[in-house]
Amino acid sequence: MNNQIGDTDTETDTNVSTDSGTDSGLGATAGVETSTTTTAGESEEQVRDEWTDYRFDGPSKLTVENLDVWYGDDHALKDVSMEIPEKSVTALIGPSGCGKSTYLRCLNRMNDRIKAARIDGSVELDGMEIYDPNTNLVELRKRIGMVFQSPNPFPKSIRDNISYGPRKHGEINKGLLARLFGNDDSEKEAELVERSLRQAALWDEVQDRLDDNALGLSGGQQQRLCIARCLAVDPEVILMDEPASALDPIATSKIEDLVTELAKDYTVVIVTHNMQQAARISDQTAVFLTGGELVEYDDTDKIFENPESQRVEDYITGKFG
Amino acid sequence: MPREDYQQQLADLEDDVLYMSEVVLERFRMGLDALERKDADLAREVIEGDHEINELYLDLEQDCIDLFALQQPVAGDLRFIAASFKIITDLERIGDLATNLGEYALEAERDVFPDVDIQSIGDETLDMVEDAMAAYAAQEPEDCFEIAERDDDIDAHCEAASETVVRDLIETELDEREGIDEDDIETFMTEVSRLLLTIRDLERVGDHAVNIAARTLYMVENDDALIY
Repeated sequence: MNNQIGDTDTETDTNVSTDSGTDSGLGATAGVETSTTTTAGESEEQVRDEWTDYRFDGPSKLTVENLDVWYGDDHALKDVSMEIPEKSVTALIGPSGCGKSTYLRCLNRMNDRIKAARIDGSVELDGMEIYDPNTNLVELRKRIGMVFQSPNPFPKSIRDNISYGPRKHGEINKGLLARLFGNDDSEKEAELVERSLRQAALWDEVQDRLDDNALGLSGGQQQRLCIARCLAVDPEVILMDEPASALDPIATSKIEDLVTELAKDYTVVIVTHNMQQAARISDQTAVFLTGGELVEYDDTDKIFENPESQRVEDYITGKFG
Repeated sequence: MPREDYQQQLADLEDDVLYMSEVVLERFRMGLDALERKDADLAREVIEGDHEINELYLDLEQDCIDLFALQQPVAGDLRFIAASFKIITDLERIGDLATNLGEYALEAERDVFPDVDIQSIGDETLDMVEDAMAAYAAQEPEDCFEIAERDDDIDAHCEAASETVVRDLIETELDEREGIDEDDIETFMTEVSRLLLTIRDLERVGDHAVNIAARTLYMVENDDALIY
């Protein structure tokens, strides 16, 4: 069984089990105590369109329109529309079961893998509909990579973890046949491995042991390796589902620095339960509440200094419930 | 409601800021009284009490820093703590100005310009600070604008008072005092400059009241209209 980013057929159990451990939204809406009642005593707060109508300069990378997701009878994501600006960090926050991971997964059609999931609406990458039946999923997930909560490197060498994806996509030729036909890309591979590891701020720590098994790395190093692996196939968008929640503060700050750095070249969308982390690293923040509702989406400083929604204020100040 | 301990700390901060404002206003009232009655004992009490205000200020400043560091406040809570952090600085300054009044009271020997009504300007500024703190306590944005407008009156009164002093000085006083000795002129000049300083200090109290109103408006509405 393989475990490959950007490859529909070969996603492993590791990924799936990681997913269900977080708030994948799989039945999570049931039993979650989210309410439309605010501390200010409003019995029911109506979400206003202008709260999620985020305007920004520059091009948008992903455009989501009227996205609905059902898991069986469970309406996990309700009519979400959102434009995600290019080369920036967008944080998705909200309590467990609010649909933020479900939403993240819709952005590279990861929910296709869940049979009970029904998806309605539109997601466009650079103006191209990703839910078009003719979409090449392998190509899509190469352009939109993903990093999960628990680091999940392949049980292979550090070098192989990086080169596996590009080789699978046919960008690197290596092995007996390649050598026989004289198109061996060992040098190209070495370059790619170094570049990816450098981008993920891991090169200095592992350059002397590229042939060691990746599972021997620390959790924080493994997570950066997974990011390097994601970068190796040259994506445009990187989706991160709680990438630092299993890491200690030092490893976390390395990931956070890395996210900020990556946003210069990539569009990063990150789900996090850590609101301070969202505040620290993101350019804009989307707040999901009450079982699949996008309540507010704006510049991160606006959300954390002066949110429009009282429920969002209650949630981020910890007065929720 | 979750985070009860944190909610209590926020409530305590508000109580403490309001307490500090009461102490400061009382000292300022005493300073004005000392000036009016030439009461040296009262004046000394105001001057010696300033360290209490300074200690209160430093304690509250530390409380705000602790809340920032340990609770990472956001949204309304953030604005409340940030506004309080600024407001205590204004209160502490008003405390310093009350001390100045005490010192003027100790030095003043007689009213050189009975036409200048220091007491009524002082009362007005005191009211402004009181109202600004009431707006802070009640989270009342409308009052903040009204307080800011009143400052124009204070400024006008202070300017008029200064003008009275200077005009009087030029037109009449020196003529009448021809033939008096150097020492008397010296004393007279000291009285004049002290009076001008008192007027300026009162005008500053009005400014601090506006600052408090401006931060309160920011706190309640995230509106920085009065800050700039």
